[in-house]
Amino acid sequence: MSAIMERFTGSGRFSLPVSLKTREAIAAYTFLAPFLIFFAIFFVRATIASVEMSFYDWRLLRPTRPYIGLQNYLELFDDPIWWSSVVHTLYFTAMTVVGTSVVGLAAALAVTRPIHGRGFFRVLLYIPQLMSVGAVGLIWNWLWSGQFGVINYLLSFFGVRPINWLGEPDLVLPVLSFTTIWWTFGFPMLIYIAGIQGIPEHLYEAARIDGASGWQSFRYITLPLLRPTILFVTVTGVIGHFQVFGQPYIITGGGGPGRSSWTVIIYLYQQAWVAFRMGFGAAVAVVIAIIMAIITTFQFKIISRPVEY
Amino acid sequence: MLKRFGLIAGTVVLVTVMLMVSMSMGTVQAQEQPTATPPTVGTGATHISFWNGLTGSDGVTLIEMLGKFAEENPDISVTVEMIAWNTLYQKLQTAFVAGTYPEVFLLHASEIPQYASYGVLRDLGDQYTSGGGWLPDDDLSETTMSGLVWDGKIYGIPLDNHGRGLWINIDMFEAAGISTDYTQAPTTYEGWVELFQKLTLDANGNNALSPDFDPENVVQWGYTVGEWPNVNFLAALYQHGGSFLSEDGKTITVNSEAGMTALQQTYDLVYKYHVSPPPAGFDTWQGFGAGTVAVLPTGTWYRNQSLLQTDINSMAWPNWQWGPNKATWFGIHTFMVPAGLEDPVKLDAVLRMIRWVSEHQVDWAASGQVPARLSAQAALDPENYPSNILLGKTFSEYGIQDPRTTVTQELLSLLDAGLQEALNNIKPLDQALNDAAALMQEALDRAG
Repeated sequence: MSAIMERFTGSGRFSLPVSLKTREAIAAYTFLAPFLIFFAIFFVRATIASVEMSFYDWRLLRPTRPYIGLQNYLELFDDPIWWSSVVHTLYFTAMTVVGTSVVGLAAALAVTRPIHGRGFFRVLLYIPQLMSVGAVGLIWNWLWSGQFGVINYLLSFFGVRPINWLGEPDLVLPVLSFTTIWWTFGFPMLIYIAGIQGIPEHLYEAARIDGASGWQSFRYITLPLLRPTILFVTVTGVIGHFQVFGQPYIITGGGGPGRSSWTVIIYLYQQAWVAFRMGFGAAVAVVIAIIMAIITTFQFKIISRPVEY
Repeated sequence: MLKRFGLIAGTVVLVTVMLMVSMSMGTVQAQEQPTATPPTVGTGATHISFWNGLTGSDGVTLIEMLGKFAEENPDISVTVEMIAWNTLYQKLQTAFVAGTYPEVFLLHASEIPQYASYGVLRDLGDQYTSGGGWLPDDDLSETTMSGLVWDGKIYGIPLDNHGRGLWINIDMFEAAGISTDYTQAPTTYEGWVELFQKLTLDANGNNALSPDFDPENVVQWGYTVGEWPNVNFLAALYQHGGSFLSEDGKTITVNSEAGMTALQQTYDLVYKYHVSPPPAGFDTWQGFGAGTVAVLPTGTWYRNQSLLQTDINSMAWPNWQWGPNKATWFGIHTFMVPAGLEDPVKLDAVLRMIRWVSEHQVDWAASGQVPARLSAQAALDPENYPSNILLGKTFSEYGIQDPRTTVTQELLSLLDAGLQEALNNIKPLDQALNDAAALMQEALDRAG
């Protein structure tokens, strides 16, 4: 008791027997606590449960859940449908990440120029990003329709016969990627705008004095200094687009034709929620998480060199 | 520093308390002002929850019927939750795991083996006269009754038979010089091909029998294979003497010679005779509604759409016959009760509701489906319910149902993907069917 009392100064203020750094850390963790608690309950616990579940033959309603070790993983790696789903996903992700990055950067460059109505165009270009995947899916299902689609209708003016956009296995993934780029390029655009505005103006002034062209300024100033921004956009893009589900599921009606637009998440969905094989589905989820971690680490390694202004 | 720390801690506590209060207030408000969806019918003190997948116009009919039930049973209220079928399957399984399942639900009878094998269904045999109950066993067709039994017990009370038939565009038939009398319909595959050829027109008005026909520029299709291919395949499979499973239920037999014939016939309609578009990317209902399809292979549930769309003059025909035997697919919407429902008051309310609906099945015909009870079928007005009567007879006489296994949905999903691969030229027919059969066999073996 006396030790506690000694911590009161003569002015009556309470003084913790810890350093300033520790006290600031306590304050920081106090603020972080609500998030960490939710994170622990709904993410860490769920992740551990998923890993555990992946070692069992776990049917949702079946009373018995026998332990089967790595059997789910071995079956997964032996399934050609899984590997084709991986290929579809990588193909889609590559197209879409490149597409959203390029279109987002182009849009950002356009709307950071001193033009009239700049704010209006920024909002206009960002609006598709605000739509739900359900709305996007239904709208583009109609637009791409081989029967009544507006796209085929417009192409007919150029003598193009109706194309079965969603019925051709070779066309369906590019079509879905195009749709996704239209839908999601707004977020990279916003990030690029912030990145471009962070580049010191005097660098461009110096380049102009040295006679640099617009392209040279972009190639040797804007692009190198946007490297961290590009990293962020590609990493978040890969993470997001690798988990694509709604677009193929809604626009093609389940990942068709056949399994031509099955992605790894559709594969997971089929196993966990059509076949109700929760253990196998958990194994799929674990493998997807590992793949994404590898890709993200790889991206960091090749792009994250330090940038100096 | 103490002041600053106190401010921080106080802010965190205040925010936390405000969040908790606002969340609890939200809960209270939610309890005080129940949302209109899902609808609750009646105001009785005994409240039961009823889940089903009747999200179409049939759901409207059901709500109307339950409204009358509630008027006659003022002590009961029913919350009716209508969920798309695929989502319902998922939600129901998770609800059973969590112990939050409804007091009664409606599923397809083909789900009985799965749920019954997990022990979550109540044996409803005591509701039938053979078990001392009120529902006469002989008021159901043998084909219907066969779908309700698993391991010698009856786990469901059937609401309807819903299944396959054809909806034909009368004006197109008349323009092609084809009788709309279904008794004049072909009874062979070749006869049906010729009928579809007469109804398929290119942009120059040539039908598919004409040497000048341009298959690349079709403006009116005689048929469409894209409407739910797996049930069409099943009908053709059985018509050719095939079956889904071996007699002992342990072997997938869809890739038999009969299965290959059924698939080849379907494929030829698209790529040899050019009377149907490839299935992927073709909306069959939209095609029929827009007047670009002459024969729509769909179900009893199309009745109300047919009545609504007055610019298309249509009528129902029995399903086609491509093989030597008659067969058409049908399913059974079936009331099921959880085995865990032990509250005698709620159980009594559930069984009263099921009985009331069963005894008023004539009203259910307004949904387009065929009442399951033969007495209700016999009581239907031919003027108002011609399609229900016509197709109902086919289900009773030669209807076939989905395979009865504990993994039926998984099997059908695998079959569907295989059929899509074949009919969209992704794989050769034999490879597509054999691959699908192999995957289905694996699923069946896993189920044990």
